[in-house]
Amino acid sequence: MKLPSVRPCQLLFAALVLVGAPACVTVRAQQRAVLADPVMQFDSEPHAEAQRVHALDNREGSFGGSGVTGGGCGCN
Amino acid sequence: MQLKARAMAGVLLAAGAFATPAAAQVAEFDTNHSLFHEAPAGSHMTVYSPATDLEVTPTEALTLRAGWEADVVSGASVAVKAGPTYQAAHVGADVVTSASVHDLRNSARGGFTLRRDIVSVTGGYNYSIENDYRSNSFNVSARTEPLERDTQLEIGYAHNFDDICNRVQAAGAPSTLTRALEDSTGCFTSSPLRATDHIGIDTFEGSWSQAWTPTFVTQLIYTAQVTDGFQSDPYRSVVIAEGIKAQEHVPNDRTRQSVTLKANFYLRPIRAALRFSLRGYEDTWGIQSATGEVEFEKYLGESFRLLVRGRAYDQTGALFWSDDYSGGDAPLGPKGQYWTGDRELSPFWSWLGGVRGIYTVTPAHGRLLGIMSRMKVGLSFDMQGFNYSQFTLGGAPVSNAYAYIGGLSLAALF
Repeated sequence: MKLPSVRPCQLLFAALVLVGAPACVTVRAQQRAVLADPVMQFDSEPHAEAQRVHALDNREGSFGGSGVTGGGCGCN
Repeated sequence: MQLKARAMAGVLLAAGAFATPAAAQVAEFDTNHSLFHEAPAGSHMTVYSPATDLEVTPTEALTLRAGWEADVVSGASVAVKAGPTYQAAHVGADVVTSASVHDLRNSARGGFTLRRDIVSVTGGYNYSIENDYRSNSFNVSARTEPLERDTQLEIGYAHNFDDICNRVQAAGAPSTLTRALEDSTGCFTSSPLRATDHIGIDTFEGSWSQAWTPTFVTQLIYTAQVTDGFQSDPYRSVVIAEGIKAQEHVPNDRTRQSVTLKANFYLRPIRAALRFSLRGYEDTWGIQSATGEVEFEKYLGESFRLLVRGRAYDQTGALFWSDDYSGGDAPLGPKGQYWTGDRELSPFWSWLGGVRGIYTVTPAHGRLLGIMSRMKVGLSFDMQGFNYSQFTLGGAPVSNAYAYIGGLSLAALF
């Protein structure tokens, strides 16, 4: 099956839409109550989560995306 | 010993998105305790990890933080690894052996955050020491919240200056004749039997968090890391040929990168949140992995929230991974100039299921015990199962490959 050709200007337009899309979005201050709720945080319990990620990462060959602090292992 | 957690040099990016410290909150004290236990065939490990953190926000422009954590490690790990071909040629022999492990890691950390308008800058330092490993790391990050704070952009960098204890090897000895470290006695002293190897770790991270609607937010995170130095387990030997076992030998350089996409949905009718996370990872050792996680957290009453989560993880093995370097048909056999007995470098997949409950006490009037504006208690439990497609103990599959993680947390806001 032949894929449709994409011109560079179309790619640029798509990239601009992607980058510019957030500017079109406005969540007003009075609408932010839910966003500030602990259940909507990406890491509402950072210290406890850091310990859990520490244990998981020590048993896997990869890492990243969790934003935890480190220094030493203690895993053996 | 493994390097993976060491590699997670501190870049605090994900915490606190779309939440700012309350003006009346002056200090927060956290203590967290986790207990990890696993007992698969051939090894067992228990790690108790207490941690305490204090964060003080004297003005809206400044937060100071200090903390301590430890790992109390006890168990036994695989000390000499051999595969099925070698076992078949030595029927009745115990070709895979274990050694007891006892270690204590202490880590102290401190840091600050400066804020002005929509910009904040964070810096931190971490010092960690255990019998056979020392780590000094610093981290810096900058964050801005443009577009009426609906967008959050953050970049961070961290560097580790780490030292690892090793056995003094014979002068000029090839890697095939190196011997494993027997124990940590004499490490970081002037002992003529001990050497110190150095490890440098550079970590970069960038994130974009976006509020799309009042009930939908996403976060995109890119992480990259370059590690240079001794990354083998100094205690582990691998049988690489008949009559030859050598200290584990992996490349000194490793570059890793991952992309993570997170999405949080709020389900207003049932006062709950549904959270998704997908991560793709690759490194120059040839490991590629995918991680998917789903969390559902719901309020039960005004003060209690219950979380249920599931996670799936799948990875390929390192290019130099083999379950038996002494022979056999592919995927067994030697793999170039490196060898490892680390099951975390073998291909496998894992699953995880867990629950967490958090109870928050917020007094309607005044303060708890006269000083606390809020108190929080949390309990969690996770169970993880592993399925190793190639890793064996002399040809025997790893049975009972389950891990259990329990957590207890207590936080007080003043």
